[in-house]
Amino acid sequence: MSEFYGIKVEDIFKSMTDRFRPEGAANITTTFGYSIKNIGSWKLTIANGTMALKTTDDLSGCDVVLDTDGETFVGLNIGKVDAMSAFTSRKLKVQGDFNTFGLTSRMFQKYMTPGQETRQEQELITLKKTISVKQRFATGPVFGKFLKGLKEKKILAIKCPECGRLQSPPRETCAICRVKNEEWVEIGPKGEMRMMEYCYYASPDPLTGETRETPYGAIGILLDGCKDEEVFWHLLRPDQLNDVKMGSVFKGKVRHGTRLRPVWNETRKGNIEDIRYFEIDE
Amino acid sequence: MNKNFDTTDCYVVEGKLALPYTYFAGRVGSTFITTIRDKQKIMGVKCNTCDKVFVPPRQTCERCLEDIRDNWVELKNTGEVVNFTVVRYDDKHLPRKAPFVLAMIRLDGADTPMVHILEGVDLDKVQTGMKVKAVFAEKTTNTILDIDHFKPLK
Repeated sequence: MSEFYGIKVEDIFKSMTDRFRPEGAANITTTFGYSIKNIGSWKLTIANGTMALKTTDDLSGCDVVLDTDGETFVGLNIGKVDAMSAFTSRKLKVQGDFNTFGLTSRMFQKYMTPGQETRQEQELITLKKTISVKQRFATGPVFGKFLKGLKEKKILAIKCPECGRLQSPPRETCAICRVKNEEWVEIGPKGEMRMMEYCYYASPDPLTGETRETPYGAIGILLDGCKDEEVFWHLLRPDQLNDVKMGSVFKGKVRHGTRLRPVWNETRKGNIEDIRYFEIDE
Repeated sequence: MNKNFDTTDCYVVEGKLALPYTYFAGRVGSTFITTIRDKQKIMGVKCNTCDKVFVPPRQTCERCLEDIRDNWVELKNTGEVVNFTVVRYDDKHLPRKAPFVLAMIRLDGADTPMVHILEGVDLDKVQTGMKVKAVFAEKTTNTILDIDHFKPLK
């Protein structure tokens, strides 16, 4: 005998008596015919809250007849096949009123494979929480000076005494030369666009849980006074995402990007968001 | 404290980190809590090999590594304090205002203790070996706090 999804068509019919719910069949009087291709035909009679099922080749007296193949029939019973899509794709044919078959879901409990009965649906408990962790960030002397600079509308960079490169945000040492940085330089505040990441997904701000509007542009700006890859990362004004041009240096050939200027917040607290974003400088 | 560098520009940024998470009680844990909530009954699971009854329930016996998830046994709502501590500080995650007692209570019929709040007794009168009784919560929170607290059995 052929099986579909590991289930025999015959088993579904055999279990109907056990799955029958008289309360669901009250006031229903109908005869259903099932014609399963290459497997057999069944006639189901529902009357006065009782059911009778028999194997027969004669489905002529049925109110509705369902004509399908074994795979679709089993799939329908275990929820693997959607009745409507099986119907529209002609895998399932109905003589009579299609909706009458909807009654069977009220009259019978769902078919379950042996062993599945014991694994009844269980209420599973989950708990959604947000815990808030206090944290303190000690800036140290170098980063502190940089943040204080932002408060005064200054963008500061620190200079390596050996290779001369600028770092902003600053670090206490130059990681390439392994020497302590000492000299401070004010850079910008205007600069040119070097690169942009067009961001479609914003992760939530860990401090507030809020998510930035997308898409947004995370940009690398070559501030005046800087060279090569000494770019400063910030945001681009959201409505100007498509109006900027990136700059580049390729084999010594410089292509200038769009000129940008920072937009400062009125009240500045000494953090990177004191600059709201950069916008096109015209 | 003296620092060997200039601290003029040093300052501290106060912040908060929000950590959203979902805790899943699991199938065994869910049954445990829904039974407390709906039937006001505390259930444990029994290992058929070593005859130990675990509460809070668990899927596997820690000694025999037997699958014990279906061996539910009903326990009494009474038990004995096997150990306790007095919580003397307030924090958001704590279920009561300090000071209060957290006790390890071995329910009658169980072999392992569970931690819960003990109320209705002076802090200095709590003793190990005390008989206590569960008081169920009126409103459900779908947590172990569906047992609101334990109180001394007089």
